[in-house]
Amino acid sequence: MPNDTRTSPPISSSLEDYLEAIAEIIAENDHAHTKDIAEKLHVTMPSVTNALQTLYARDLIVYQPHMPVSLTARGAEQAAVIRHRHVAMKKFFQDVLKLDAQEADEAACRIEHVIGEKVMSRFIVLAKTIANREDCKPLRDFLNQTMPQLCVEDGVDLISLSELPIGRQGVVVHVDENLRALKKFADLGLVRGTLLQMEGHAPFGDLLRVKVMCSSLSLRRKDAAHIWLKQMS
Amino acid sequence: MKDLYRIALAGNPNCGKTTIFNALTGTRQHVGNYPGVTVERKCGSCRIGNVNIEIIDLPGIYSLSSSSPEEKVAIRELLKTPIDLVMNVVDAANLQRNLYLSTQLAELGVPMLLVFNMVDDARNRGFVFDLPKFEHYFGAPIVETVGSREEGIDQLKALTAKLLVGEAQKPAIIRYGEHIDQAINSLTTAVKDKQDFATQAIPPRYFAIKLLENDPEICALPAFAPLLPVAAELRERLAVRHGISSATLMADCRYGVIAGACREAITLNNEQRRLVSDSIDKVVTNRYVGLPIFLLIMLFVFAFTFICSEPLVEIVAFLLDRVSALIDSAWPAAALPYFKALVLEGIIGGVGGVLMFIPNILLLFLAIAFLEGTGYMARAAFVMDGFMHKFGLHGKSFIPMLLGFGCTVPAVMATRTIESERDRLTTILILPLMSCGARLPIYSLLIPIFFPLRMQAVTMWIIYIIGASLALGIAAILKATIFKGEDEVFVMELPPYRMPTMKSLLIHMGERAMVYLHKAGTIILGASIVLFFINTFPQKQVFDHDYKALAETIDNSTTMSQEEKSRAQDELVSQHQAEKLNYSLAGRIGKKLAVPMRYAGFDWKASSALIGAFAAKELFVSQLAILHSVGQGEDAAQALRQKLRDSYNPLQAFCLMLFCLISIPCVGTVAVVYKETQSWKITIGQLGGLTTLAYVITTIVYQIGRALNIGLA
Repeated sequence: MPNDTRTSPPISSSLEDYLEAIAEIIAENDHAHTKDIAEKLHVTMPSVTNALQTLYARDLIVYQPHMPVSLTARGAEQAAVIRHRHVAMKKFFQDVLKLDAQEADEAACRIEHVIGEKVMSRFIVLAKTIANREDCKPLRDFLNQTMPQLCVEDGVDLISLSELPIGRQGVVVHVDENLRALKKFADLGLVRGTLLQMEGHAPFGDLLRVKVMCSSLSLRRKDAAHIWLKQMS
Repeated sequence: MKDLYRIALAGNPNCGKTTIFNALTGTRQHVGNYPGVTVERKCGSCRIGNVNIEIIDLPGIYSLSSSSPEEKVAIRELLKTPIDLVMNVVDAANLQRNLYLSTQLAELGVPMLLVFNMVDDARNRGFVFDLPKFEHYFGAPIVETVGSREEGIDQLKALTAKLLVGEAQKPAIIRYGEHIDQAINSLTTAVKDKQDFATQAIPPRYFAIKLLENDPEICALPAFAPLLPVAAELRERLAVRHGISSATLMADCRYGVIAGACREAITLNNEQRRLVSDSIDKVVTNRYVGLPIFLLIMLFVFAFTFICSEPLVEIVAFLLDRVSALIDSAWPAAALPYFKALVLEGIIGGVGGVLMFIPNILLLFLAIAFLEGTGYMARAAFVMDGFMHKFGLHGKSFIPMLLGFGCTVPAVMATRTIESERDRLTTILILPLMSCGARLPIYSLLIPIFFPLRMQAVTMWIIYIIGASLALGIAAILKATIFKGEDEVFVMELPPYRMPTMKSLLIHMGERAMVYLHKAGTIILGASIVLFFINTFPQKQVFDHDYKALAETIDNSTTMSQEEKSRAQDELVSQHQAEKLNYSLAGRIGKKLAVPMRYAGFDWKASSALIGAFAAKELFVSQLAILHSVGQGEDAAQALRQKLRDSYNPLQAFCLMLFCLISIPCVGTVAVVYKETQSWKITIGQLGGLTTLAYVITTIVYQIGRALNIGLA
């Protein structure tokens, strides 16, 4: 049945991973062995066997003991859908969010299973709009400027000021536009490039005390969550 | 040479600006208020050689961007009044942040003098300044000072006089990089055509930058309305190019430029000392011991204010007594008897009511000035904020609330340290609920009479707790209704610990006392006189008894001992007074009041005593004594207890206390609330609101108590 993929019960995200992996291995080697699948997904052989039995029960793969695994027509179709989503998401992460290829790949892997067809198709429209339309040029310029600054070398993740551990230092990399009284914080020196140090938390935890330049400022945790830092060692 | 030169003193909060101001002007200062806001306008005058100078001490600000009332006031002052010199005090130990304001002040095109204050602190941190570089950079001469030790003040004065009399140069134009400068220049040209007469004193470049910054105050000027789209387009383009928000574009550039300047002109030597300030803070703002330490310090402030002021209050009372006795003996009884009574009871009583608060206010503000001067106040707010925030209040609200247990009047004045207007008003409105010291005599009269010994302490405690919980509860309600709105952004600087100078403490203390005397004093005096009239007039001409004859009978009695005679005389006098009071306006109002007050457990005597309590809470007791025809003295106290025990039951006594706790703040409070809020609406609203609340709560308690048969025996 051609529209089986839509009507068949949805399979879990880990099963989708299996299906995707099997499709990829078959694309490379023409056939997939249990051992190859286990290696690709970094899982144990028994879990692969387990998953394969479920996929077989759903009529997505042809699976017989001691024989390489192959996809049924339905399985192939579903794998293609998953693959398509993955590529689209990866492109979005690469083109719009300006992540590098590997990061985009990993992020796509994590997100592709959890969003539906409808959300996905709209994502793709958004990505294409930003990439191609003339009136989106200032936005593209902005993204080209801003996003790379958010990427931190050495694979260190950005941390919000509210999460900075006591005693640690960080340099402001980005201040969210939806921080209330953005200008007030900027006037006090919370601008890009300022070195901050977390000095402590007030009793009951709501206020943070941060060293900015040579003075200590206290601010609310919810405001601090909008200030992004690169942690210094 | 001009007759009078005008200097604007500007700087960040906590940069030692006030110390410099005090060093220059001494006591020749004048404190006023800016219209419509609670920001104070401080002016002072000084004379250097033969140059007369008026110094305007602008409020401490971080930026000229109208994001707080202080900033708005400062901008208006700078744009409105012709100023000959901007004296910019900067904290040399924190140049980067302080110079941010300097870049903006420089754009005003008025000659500027930079005061690098607290250079000793900067040296301790190991900073070495290349002053000529900084001078060149801002196009302004620099003087190094240590305000607290008056170091460098002479140089400062000399240079100031020289700049004022001679041809001072305008500050340098600060460059922010090619693209920004281009945008500024094109806007400057546009502004030049649009500038009207009102803004001509300020160079167009200042307005161009403010337009580019999207400053709400400047953008609202009608003259620049046509330029707004151009400015917006430039701003967006620059924001995209720099990859930052358009709102913070200029802030980013300014800090960038300053960072560059500081890199060039500041070197660090190796003499950095471990900062004492940081070590103190490790303990004082610690998550666990911070609160206990704060409470301990507050206890000390409380004790200092109210215990040390007690002998002073007694001295004031003693002096007033003497004055009153002097007038009494010098004034023949026959001459103008009503006027004599007015002077003795109304005016001297009123003056007493005003002066009684002075020792409290002096000591309290000495303590507060010390806490603020050392920098602990900000820590206190930091430590308490978490708790107070749960009730929609500010960390700084805690201090006035605690002081409210002593006396509401200085507590209301202490709310000045709260920046946010809504938080300040909320705090002021609930302050009378903190049971003040003047209510203690009421409790200590009633509780021992009506409650068994084991219950006495608990009852007292319950009263205090009811007051405090009501205060917090109402604060939460007020913040959710009248003062609704997203809580204001909270950013507060915790300045390094410093030792304030005695001079600045005393000046601050004197200033507060003057403000109190000037504004609240007159209202309290007036109200006391009015209350005197209510309590005295109309006068009864024909009494139920012939007191004179009765007194003579007692005097001539042969059967009574001397002791019995004087007791009988006392009783007679109070009976006489009771009859007078009964006839007076206060007595009549009291009887009318008693109609609704009956439901809350009050009889007409207690209701009339409430009127006296409005003058000062402790008067409730003496009014009650008079109305029950009891005199003064030891015996009388015993007699009053007996009479009260006969007239009321414990439930009524509890309701009396409850009503006195919640209802009408005293005249002093009303006056000072009006003075601090500048709004009759709030003052009257508070008066009415609290009284209604008191009536409702007391009535509910009384009726429930009666229904459940509690405390009727």
